Amino acid sequence: MLNEERIKLMTKMAAYEENEGKKNMIIGSYFRGDYIELQILKSVASGTFAFLVIFAMYIYYDFETFMQNIYKMDLVQFGKDVLLYYFIFVVIYALISYIVYSYRYSKAKKSLKRYFYNLKQLAALYELENKKL
Amino acid sequence: MSGLLEIRENIRNFYSKYEVYLIPLFKLLLALTTFLFINASLGYNSKINNPMIVLVVALMCSFLPLNIMVLLGAIFIILHLYALTMECAIVASVLFLLMFLMYFRFSPKDTLIVVLLPIAFVLKIPYAVVLAAGLIGTPVSIISVGCGVIVYYFVSFVRSNAALITTLDSDSAVAKLRYVIDGMLGNEEMLVTIAAFAVTVIIVYLIRRLSVDYAWTISIIVGTVTCVVALLLGDLAFDINVSIVTAIIGAVVSFAIAKVLEFFAFNVDYTRTEYVQFEDDEYYYYVKAIPKNSVTKAKKTVKKITSVI
Repeated sequence: MLNEERIKLMTKMAAYEENEGKKNMIIGSYFRGDYIELQILKSVASGTFAFLVIFAMYIYYDFETFMQNIYKMDLVQFGKDVLLYYFIFVVIYALISYIVYSYRYSKAKKSLKRYFYNLKQLAALYELENKKL
Repeated sequence: MSGLLEIRENIRNFYSKYEVYLIPLFKLLLALTTFLFINASLGYNSKINNPMIVLVVALMCSFLPLNIMVLLGAIFIILHLYALTMECAIVASVLFLLMFLMYFRFSPKDTLIVVLLPIAFVLKIPYAVVLAAGLIGTPVSIISVGCGVIVYYFVSFVRSNAALITTLDSDSAVAKLRYVIDGMLGNEEMLVTIAAFAVTVIIVYLIRRLSVDYAWTISIIVGTVTCVVALLLGDLAFDINVSIVTAIIGAVVSFAIAKVLEFFAFNVDYTRTEYVQFEDDEYYYYVKAIPKNSVTKAKKTVKKITSVI
């Protein structure tokens, strides 16, 4: 027999699984540390690429002066400066992504908890039905 | 008011019934508008100026995720600029690359603002998008709003200086590049606009979240006023030419749009029709679940009649 209450619960859960849940399940399949680590690694990679682009634009923008001065200037010092800027840039970006992704992780976990609670309820409903039979 | 609510319910019913067809239609319209706006303001590349191409690409967009449309819009802009000069195209590519790399990695849902804001700018009602960002989004939307402003001012800079850029000495590519970058970064009007919009988004967001009556309406009014005042203050401080009349008319129209948005978005949960299917041991279930319409009931007022005999 069709159990109305159960169908309602199943519908809600199926809708969750299809939309929001899909993303949360992926997040939930990681440990907290692993998830955040992976996201930060991705951030560092894209941050590095972004820095390279900005740096290339900077050099290109002042290309003539740069080429004129290239023999005069202290290349080691210049390299150190660039590395320092790169470091600051990437660290700040990684920090921001750490905050964002730890927030997202805790949010996903909370919503998954609710989902699992519903799952338990569903199991209980099935059990109840079986007993009736 | 009840008549309006009824209309809203009808619209919602209609929407939940035909959602499957309406969403691609909206996407198609949005894509068409975006690409046509880009072509109208930049049309340097005669190949993609062809309406047939625009139509085909827009049709494609109606079935693809929204972010693909944003990407295609960026590609359209870059292609147009490439037909003008390569340097402009380089700057535009770098600009979009940085946006995609640095920001949209975090919040891919916000990309819509970047598309809508330049269009709203052309229509002179950018405040509507800013208010909407504050009403529906979070303070993080500031970054998307900023990106949208930058895209608009970059495009309008290139557009108004196109003749000059092409006549610049073709030998020195660096000079052109420098001219474009200087023109973009040194645009005080752009910076003032970004600051004003950022303040507006924060204020609208903060007031909307207050638990006072009419929080949404108050936030829209305060937001509109803040935006215009901030723009005019910036105008005074940097002596840029913000037209007061257009600003005020735009603000009034934006206010109206935001009110309409409030009417539809406030108190409405966005869970729409769900088609789900699942199975258990005995059955297959094909369920269509439609969220309940919640018409706010009229408050009952109790009138006390004390009769003196």
